[in-house]
Amino acid sequence: MEPDVTILYNVFHEEAIGLPIAIYFYMTGLSAGSFLLSTMAYGFGLQKFKPLGKTGVVLATLLLALAPVNLIIDLGQPLRFWHLFPYLNFRSPITWGSFLLLAYPINCLIYGFFMFKGNLKLTKTFGLVGIPLAISVHGYTGFILALGKAYALWNTALMPLYFLMSAMVSGIALMVIVVQIRSWVTREKMNHELAITLGKMLAYTILIDLFFVLSDVLVLLTADTEARESALLLLQGEFRPYFVGVELILGAFIPAILLLVPRTGRHTPTVIIASVLAMIGVFAMRYVMVIGGQGIHLS
Amino acid sequence: MARWAMVIDMRRCIGCFACAVACKAENDVPLGVWRSWVKVIEKGRYPFVGQSFLPSMCNNCANPICVRNCPTQATYQREDGIVMVDPHRCIACKYCMASCPYNVRYVHPTKKIVQKCQWCHHRVDVGLEPACVNACPTSALIFGDITDPGSEVSRIIASNPVQVLKPDRDTQPQVYYIQADMAAMRTMGLAELDKIEKHEGNRNKRS
Repeated sequence: MEPDVTILYNVFHEEAIGLPIAIYFYMTGLSAGSFLLSTMAYGFGLQKFKPLGKTGVVLATLLLALAPVNLIIDLGQPLRFWHLFPYLNFRSPITWGSFLLLAYPINCLIYGFFMFKGNLKLTKTFGLVGIPLAISVHGYTGFILALGKAYALWNTALMPLYFLMSAMVSGIALMVIVVQIRSWVTREKMNHELAITLGKMLAYTILIDLFFVLSDVLVLLTADTEARESALLLLQGEFRPYFVGVELILGAFIPAILLLVPRTGRHTPTVIIASVLAMIGVFAMRYVMVIGGQGIHLS
Repeated sequence: MARWAMVIDMRRCIGCFACAVACKAENDVPLGVWRSWVKVIEKGRYPFVGQSFLPSMCNNCANPICVRNCPTQATYQREDGIVMVDPHRCIACKYCMASCPYNVRYVHPTKKIVQKCQWCHHRVDVGLEPACVNACPTSALIFGDITDPGSEVSRIIASNPVQVLKPDRDTQPQVYYIQADMAAMRTMGLAELDKIEKHEGNRNKRS
């Protein structure tokens, strides 16, 4: 052990990226998740998911039309956002994103257009084209963090996968809630069987997500000093309520238990409650990753 | 072509902050942000105590992650190694700030673009030294061309044990320190951060 160290003077600069970016990541995740669910029926022909197709594509398009607003208001020079296109840098993940954020909503519109027109063949084509796009449009946000290599919490190859899996969690949860609201509004009876199937999918994706969290935290705790400090910041430090409390307990353990215990998992209301909790949990995950990642002071 | 580099000799540094002040004045750096500063640490217990300094600035890395990650090529590297920010190109997405392992970039509070130490390129281009080097009363800061084996920096780097900040990040920093303290060079720990925040209230807390 070295002797007591006190920092007498050091400089802190503001955190680089803040809440709008966390919200942006959350919205692209919801969009990608909704899109993937919508292709279950129209891309892969799983008839059970047919009621989700149209809702899914509308949500995916709307969310992705709104998500980049967060990015632009976060810029110091919002009116210069067009610099992203003529002055692009292909080594930067943000440049990948600028093009994905153009291509993906356009594809969503075409896919949705043919779906509402009832042209199943073309719907299928654009649904299948959209799958890699949806994965990329959310996966690249994982790369933004992973390749911003200053922070130990971000700089892990797990990040894009972890982001994609939590996108599926939040996408399924959003779909359950929206389908429920739609059935209230149209006074149609909610499709019980579909809700239970979605509940099961939600439970499994939450379990995979939890595995990623476990893997991430275990490696962080043993990798290097900064990594350990980042992990401790989440487990014991100021982000503990958000990480352990909201993301893990409220947003993952409780919904997973609710859905997996046969006595509670068979009821539609359980699935809805679990979905609300899971959506809150995934938002906490985005917040903890983006803001908590920068909790370590690098100078 | 020259490749600029800097040596900071901690055996000579007296912690006077002249470099930080000169930088503020030369580059018109606004209140609340710094291009160059001196980190000060204290360690041990009476009677065995020590104080160490770490003049900090942009390392103008040979493999700069900020240049790689800038989506508009606003941050670029000149042939002589100085990493620049084009004030008209920068959109202040702040991804460079999030990528930099050394916390040397900031958003200008009113111009709303990212700025950083550019080794006073306007002075270097006319044959002068950067303002911090010029101001250092003990010549602890030495600036020169690392590709010229006869230059002062090359001779010092070749004949002294030197180290750079966070070499594991593969950014290949071009500020070389002689006899810098381990605790000053490493990222500030959470316990140390807590101590500062308790001492100084919110004054130095991140905004």
